[in-house]
Amino acid sequence: MSTRPVPYALNKLLTDIARQHQMRESLSDQEMAGHALSEGERAALRDGDIGRLYELGANPYLIRRVFRRRFTI
Amino acid sequence: MAEIVAAALTAHAPLITGRPEIGRPEQRDRLYAGFREIGRRLQAARPDLLVMFVNDHLQNFAYSNLPAFCVGLAATYQCPSPGGAKLMRLQPRVVRGNPEWAMGLLEAGLEAGIDFACSYEIESWDELSVPLSFLMPEGDVPIVTVYTNCGAPPLPTPRRCRDVGAFVGDFIRGRATSGRVALVATGGLSHWVGTPETGRINPDWDHRILDHITRGDIEPLTRLTRDEIERDGGNGGQEIRNWIALMGAVPGWKGELLAYEPVDEWITGCATVWVHP
Repeated sequence: MSTRPVPYALNKLLTDIARQHQMRESLSDQEMAGHALSEGERAALRDGDIGRLYELGANPYLIRRVFRRRFTI
Repeated sequence: MAEIVAAALTAHAPLITGRPEIGRPEQRDRLYAGFREIGRRLQAARPDLLVMFVNDHLQNFAYSNLPAFCVGLAATYQCPSPGGAKLMRLQPRVVRGNPEWAMGLLEAGLEAGIDFACSYEIESWDELSVPLSFLMPEGDVPIVTVYTNCGAPPLPTPRRCRDVGAFVGDFIRGRATSGRVALVATGGLSHWVGTPETGRINPDWDHRILDHITRGDIEPLTRLTRDEIERDGGNGGQEIRNWIALMGAVPGWKGELLAYEPVDEWITGCATVWVHP
């Protein structure tokens, strides 16, 4: 019983991409423009760093959906 | 009086239909056979409505608005949408809803203190599209959906899911009009999706859950905490809430396990279960 609030801007951006049924290796600065992301979140999205995104609080279903190609299985 | 004429539990995962060729043929064939057997039995039960206990994957309900329980009032469901069809390798299709019936459930719920949310527009991902491709290939029976939040914590407790399912069962049996309703819940069993443990499956936990289902002994499942489910069944294992809700709708009924396969390639402990009096 210790749910922490999620980083909303990060999850909102991933949700927008997932809903367009799009997959990415990484996100461009252009795609992230206008979203209130931290520098750490921008770096993880730019690198397609799925482990880091999980640590940062991105919903794992969204990580899987958007960065499908980054998973080895 | 309306009656519940059939009930079944199945896994859902986009790769079940999306990448059949990567599964080991014997596992895939046994699991497909389980799905198809449920399809045959459902057809034999001649339902005029399918009530489906399922969960969203942030496709419809995002962090801007996250219902714990939501009744689908949609007139039609994209099952799947053209966009989702590609990954699941299914033909895009539209399945009819039954907004009038669903509204009855919603109103009765609100009057009884079950504060369902509702939605008139739902795009199905694998939770409906994949199982229905086997269970109802013709798409000829309308569906009503009860969505439970299983993927964006905090989540409703398993006990509450059982209670909501019990309410749905009572609602069906208490309806004055005649009707033949089949119940289907999808999701689970253990799987880790998008986490650092993606690909892990826990067959021991899966068998434990299946054991409770086949004995119709779900009380211990209602006491599971989110942390316990996450530890043993993964974030995907949280979807057993849908199964618990269905079992709550048919007290005393038991599961008949038709197929269980921990399919590494589909990253999911996959089961198909017929539920009967």
